[in-house]
Amino acid sequence: MILPLVLALTVQSAPASGRAIQEGKKLFDGMCARCHGIDGTGDEGPALNRATLARAASDDALRDVIRDGIPERGMPRVRRLSDGELAQLVAYVRSLGRAGGPPARGDAERGRAVYARLGCASCHIVEGQGSSFGPDLTEIGIQRGAGYLKQSVIGPGETLPRGLSQVPGRGFAEYLPVQIVTSDGRTIRGVRINEDPFTIQLRDTNNQFHSYRKSELKQLEKEFGKSVMPGFRGRVTDTELDDLVAYLSTLRGVK
Amino acid sequence: MRALLVTAAGLAALAAAQPSAQVTYERIANSEREPQNWITYSGNYQSHRFSPLTEITRANVAKLKPAWVYQVRRTGIVETSPIVADGVMYITEPPSTVTALDAHTGRPLWTYTPAIPTDVIVIGSPPVNRGVAILGDTVFFGTVHGHLIALDAKSGAVRWDTVVDDNKLGHYLTNAPLALADRIIVGVSGAEAGIRGFLDAYDPKSGKRVWRTYTVPTPGEPGAQTWGGESWKNGGGSSWLTGSYDPALNLVYWGTGNPGPDWNGDVRPGDNLYTCSLLALSPVDGRIKWHFQFTPHDVHDWDSNEIPILFDATVNGRARKLVAMANRNAFYYVLDRETGEFLSGTPYAKQTWAEGLDAKGRPRLKPGTDPSLEGTLVFPNIQGASNWPSPSFSPATKLFYQPAREMGTYYYKGESKYKAGEPFVAGGGRAVNGDEAWGAVRAIEAATGKMKWEFKLLSPPWSGLLSTAGGLVFGGTEEGNFFALDAENGTPLWDLQLGGAVKANPIAFGVDGKEYIAIAAGYAIFVFGL
Repeated sequence: MILPLVLALTVQSAPASGRAIQEGKKLFDGMCARCHGIDGTGDEGPALNRATLARAASDDALRDVIRDGIPERGMPRVRRLSDGELAQLVAYVRSLGRAGGPPARGDAERGRAVYARLGCASCHIVEGQGSSFGPDLTEIGIQRGAGYLKQSVIGPGETLPRGLSQVPGRGFAEYLPVQIVTSDGRTIRGVRINEDPFTIQLRDTNNQFHSYRKSELKQLEKEFGKSVMPGFRGRVTDTELDDLVAYLSTLRGVK
Repeated sequence: MRALLVTAAGLAALAAAQPSAQVTYERIANSEREPQNWITYSGNYQSHRFSPLTEITRANVAKLKPAWVYQVRRTGIVETSPIVADGVMYITEPPSTVTALDAHTGRPLWTYTPAIPTDVIVIGSPPVNRGVAILGDTVFFGTVHGHLIALDAKSGAVRWDTVVDDNKLGHYLTNAPLALADRIIVGVSGAEAGIRGFLDAYDPKSGKRVWRTYTVPTPGEPGAQTWGGESWKNGGGSSWLTGSYDPALNLVYWGTGNPGPDWNGDVRPGDNLYTCSLLALSPVDGRIKWHFQFTPHDVHDWDSNEIPILFDATVNGRARKLVAMANRNAFYYVLDRETGEFLSGTPYAKQTWAEGLDAKGRPRLKPGTDPSLEGTLVFPNIQGASNWPSPSFSPATKLFYQPAREMGTYYYKGESKYKAGEPFVAGGGRAVNGDEAWGAVRAIEAATGKMKWEFKLLSPPWSGLLSTAGGLVFGGTEEGNFFALDAENGTPLWDLQLGGAVKANPIAFGVDGKEYIAIAAGYAIFVFGL
């Protein structure tokens, strides 16, 4: 069934703070939300609730995109706005991409040790180091706020990522656990990498790719609400959790 | 019923008989007699998107393979539905280019691109084009800068170039025109910029406008009382998708789009005629013979531009001339096309906004489904349970094949002040997409609206459908699959990954006695044969 809950689990946008952002939101809802979605969650147009925008690396570039449009992609130019209104709109769009929630309150250095002790690198890459079964965390401090990170550590099945990757596509759960039974009776568990109505691609728990035609499978089960990552609820102390989240929040790209 | 089954030998004979004939109105009106050609947007005036060709069948479709591929010249969404006449395929490329291809090989014969201003205003859709019309030796198409242009079919030379309306106000064209005996009918886009919609007819020879029928009345005209204040001036009601035609009744059937602004109806109290409606008009003077409004006072952007399909059937013991539309609002409607009388309306996809329809087809609204400041979850979503991708009707199965979109949106209400040539939408939505959305090819009994079968798709589709006398239904997916289903029961019989989303309508044609299927996907046109 369609669950409103799902939306609460997607990338959260920063709460509008400041008058400029509030005014920018009004302008956005009146002109931009049709294509970019309310809160920039994306619809016909791309999602804007991300830390970096492909065509607008800086505020100046974002201002130019709004003013000049991207005609070949169907984004109209907007010339009616005063400089002040344009600044409000830019402030609002930028606020959408900021990792929201309260700042992490732990000790990042101690958190780095927790990351090592828990063996996170056996599934995650940070600055090129680690294994690639799970999401690359090199920029996770930009992409996700402390609240989301904490939830991901203690109950990852409730917070499967969306929108981190271009594959499998807009709005689909990434790293969705799947279990299949092949025509010759083998059971394979892994994460969905991509899918269409006729085929599915996955990586098994040994990080090996598999591709199947669905019609040739005896069983295909998508395990919504689960994650192949172990949840650490009850397995780390509150302090360790805060420290780990503080460390993850410092991950803001290759230094 | 006419003899629709044409043998391969007969096809070859037909192809040889008309190597360079002009595409007359009589040929289009009798298009089933020359199934090797696809000479109007939806294949025939009744918009069946059905091919009488029979070489490709349930038994051999598994052997279908690419015959040729043509790559478009610049990136953009390729929504074209090709026209094929006498061995030449005419396609449009984004945003407003026409290219003629050798239908045997895909090699270009000519291409034409008008000078599009860099500050062109396209608000409400991507800058796309869905195809050309052909009449005589001339090809007609609309542009994103609001022009209707006639090109010589042999060379691409401009015969005339007419401004339909001012692009500075947001008028633009994406629809394939409809060519009748002495009229080129074309609709306009721009409701999201607050235009006042209309449908136009032009003289094919001179390019002069013969008539214009506004879809939003002025004070004093019938329907004007359905608009509060001066809201009619920016009332929308675009006519952005190609309509249908009944030569016997001499009526054009054309759908109209959403009122403006989209999601805040407070500024336009009333039913907002003739938005979200089907109009039956005289092609002679554009007079509206009847109208049927699917969604009065729409606040969800549920345009009713979807393809109206014309067919005849017995309803409640009486032979009727019918028009059916799988509306964006998730109801499948059957109307009497002589009178506009509502006969039935049945949900064909999930909808949460109406308790049902009353005896006249007016929706009985559920409370609390309007857009709100905090967001209101409603099915279908903003793009609707259907949209521009074409349905198909098979005279053989009497089924209406619909690409159905199962998706909801949180609808938000905002505010917009009208300013010429800028977005006028007042709100938007937050899509419930990804794993929570899906799609299907649905086979609906055309006369009753009863669902016969469905084939599930991973995502809400943006591909139209083609049915054939070979017993097949062709369609595509957002993930890039192109596939064939058994028209009787929906069993998948063939599919191929094309490497780019299918956002176009398939057609069938023949050259050298062989049947081919064409579809655009990604940045290319793919043609398949046995």
